[in-house]
Amino acid sequence: MTASPQLAPRAAWRPSGRGPRRLPTRRALAPYVFIAPFIAIFALFSVYPLVFALRLSFTDWRGAGSASWVGWDNYTYLLTSPAFWASLGNSGILWLLILPAQLVIGVVAAVLLNNAKLRLRGFYRTAFIVPFVTPLVAIAQVWVVVFDQNFGPVNGLLNLVGIPDVGWLVTSEWSKVTLALLFLWKTTGFAIIIVLSGLQAIDDTVYEAASLDGASRARQLWSITVPLLRRTLLFLVVLQTLAVFQMFAEPVVVTNGGPYGSTTTAGVYLYNHISRADLGTGAANSFLLVIAVMVLSLVFVRVLRPKD
Amino acid sequence: MHQHRPRQVPTAARVSAVGLAVAVSLGLTACGPSIGGGEESSTDVLVAPTETSGEITIWSRSGDLYEVFEGVIDKFNEKYPDITVDHQAVDIGAKLQNTLITATDVPDGVFLDDQLVPGYADYLWDLSDVLAPYTVDIAQQKLDVNTVDGAIYGVPWDLNPGLLFYNATALEAAGIDAESIETYDDLLTAAEEYKAFRPDAGPIHLEQSAFLGQLQLEMYASQLGTSIADENGELRLDSPEYEQILGFLDSVQKGGLGTRAEYLGPTDIAALESGQQVFYPWSIWFDFAPQQLLTETQGDWRATSLPAWEAGGARSGAMGGASFILPKDGENADLAWLFYEFLAFDEEGYTAVYGPNDIYPDGLNTSIPSYGPAAQADKPLFGTVDALGGQDLWKTAVEAGEQIPGSVPTPSWWGGAVDYLGNNVQKMLDGTMTPDEVIDSSTTDIQTNLVDRQ
Repeated sequence: MTASPQLAPRAAWRPSGRGPRRLPTRRALAPYVFIAPFIAIFALFSVYPLVFALRLSFTDWRGAGSASWVGWDNYTYLLTSPAFWASLGNSGILWLLILPAQLVIGVVAAVLLNNAKLRLRGFYRTAFIVPFVTPLVAIAQVWVVVFDQNFGPVNGLLNLVGIPDVGWLVTSEWSKVTLALLFLWKTTGFAIIIVLSGLQAIDDTVYEAASLDGASRARQLWSITVPLLRRTLLFLVVLQTLAVFQMFAEPVVVTNGGPYGSTTTAGVYLYNHISRADLGTGAANSFLLVIAVMVLSLVFVRVLRPKD
Repeated sequence: MHQHRPRQVPTAARVSAVGLAVAVSLGLTACGPSIGGGEESSTDVLVAPTETSGEITIWSRSGDLYEVFEGVIDKFNEKYPDITVDHQAVDIGAKLQNTLITATDVPDGVFLDDQLVPGYADYLWDLSDVLAPYTVDIAQQKLDVNTVDGAIYGVPWDLNPGLLFYNATALEAAGIDAESIETYDDLLTAAEEYKAFRPDAGPIHLEQSAFLGQLQLEMYASQLGTSIADENGELRLDSPEYEQILGFLDSVQKGGLGTRAEYLGPTDIAALESGQQVFYPWSIWFDFAPQQLLTETQGDWRATSLPAWEAGGARSGAMGGASFILPKDGENADLAWLFYEFLAFDEEGYTAVYGPNDIYPDGLNTSIPSYGPAAQADKPLFGTVDALGGQDLWKTAVEAGEQIPGSVPTPSWWGGAVDYLGNNVQKMLDGTMTPDEVIDSSTTDIQTNLVDRQ
């Protein structure tokens, strides 16, 4: 039986017959008083910067003096700039190099780590997360040495099997691959932890039932694990898409956006405007980037959301 | 049984909350930059202080130079006992712009690369008056790079003359006398001779970093008395001087006479240590390499003046350098001026920096002072350099520094030009562009994306 919520008559909670109008007014105001601190902080640290940046995106302001209103000029400049589209393209290619590989590695590694019979499970879990907590700048220096075209051990190993030197960091063909490898190495541990948490939320009885029905391990992975991980994978894809499109520190410390802008990601391109005090163009760029990432995220939500 | 439903927030309340947030935000946004003609500028001229007491906050770049400056504070306080120096090691590139824009916790003085000074001119004191007694003795190139519309915005600090570093031992073995090289044609000839002696060599350094490659290109241009833009910010890449420089670099590359590597990266160091790369036209601060990195060839290296582009031409150009700026929003910028005056123009100050000190027992030898009385060839501040075979680098550098032609302020978009000029030079060294294409393409792109958008 469903009961309708009963509203108590106002008189029932009046403490007395005196001041019948004041108390309801105060009660009505109370929620607003309670949320006022949040509203103030939200307005100050979220809405204000957003509105400020939006206004800035229509101006030419170098940080000093007054800003000049330039209308849509910053947006039209960016949308007709080959460099802007190239930065998005670079991020897109990096996304393609990183996300599919990371999802596959993340799921496979997490399934293996989730196996209670696996020995040294704690050690492996720690080992996978170590790169994620290692300072990027230190790793970047290692990357520069390891992938050096002439003296790096990676090319040394390739030479042993007859493959000639690869310009990992100095050719636009390979620089994105090198950067993607760094990103994968550094963040896949995080992906594994996320997937692992999703796996642990799956009820064991589902697998037991499937085993009784004769489903193989591979079949269970494909027909049970992956579908039940859709929400987790969706979360991971959206999160990593944001990370790839905002990728900044990795290209700056390893290739400085080069060679020839081939690793100038959307994040680096945006930063370049800011660092050159072209704050209006930087603000416009950030809004265009937000729109691009939002559209991508909505597509992923649509494609990956669970059917139920 | 009760069924909990989400409470419906009245529409009016929602509208009120959103309205409040927007109103607060818009109100706050009004605190942002005013929108107007965008042509505000002020020319506040700093006046020397009449009282010498107070506290100053000084930002220096993290690292050895910070330590060296730190060591001078005691001496400064002997002269100005009532000025307290709060000396901070700061990532200036990351912090300065935001600090100046927000005018929050603005330091009184900042150590800054010369090329960045003009870009911050709106925030800085014009130092023309306080510098007036010294300008006649300051290297012209340093004054020029700090001058915008007749106002001087930086206290000129160090001079970074370009020098030709060479591996004397390797060249002697090939029968080449590097000291006889007087022009870049001579350098090409010497490189060919060395290549004939050692076929696996790439004798001349070709920089592979787009940024440093552009900086080196500007060193060559500085020798010819030109630069990427004139004093009005107009591009002047399309000139015989740049054609000559790019033509030289192209010849080195096409003739197999260069080692293409990033400055002191693994490839570079290996080629320097193996004797494959024996000529390094670079700023004086390359001497750090033989002193600390090139353990195999330490002592084999020497430095001489750069070759001239034409016989009798200038034998050096500027590559790098820094000055001290005094932000207008600093509380005691006038007192900070006294600190920098002591460092740059007081014998006790500059001797404490360049002479033997706790950090560098033989003195700081990666640059020379830009102030004439401090930079006299026969009065060395730092000692001979063992890693350069005991060479008197001071004398070589001071004599080279005296030949650096005057210059103009670096345009604020210089760093942005690396995306075009710096990259195009690399493409030329890859063989995918000609020198003319580098000039044409860079000129068009820099004009469109940087100059026209100032």
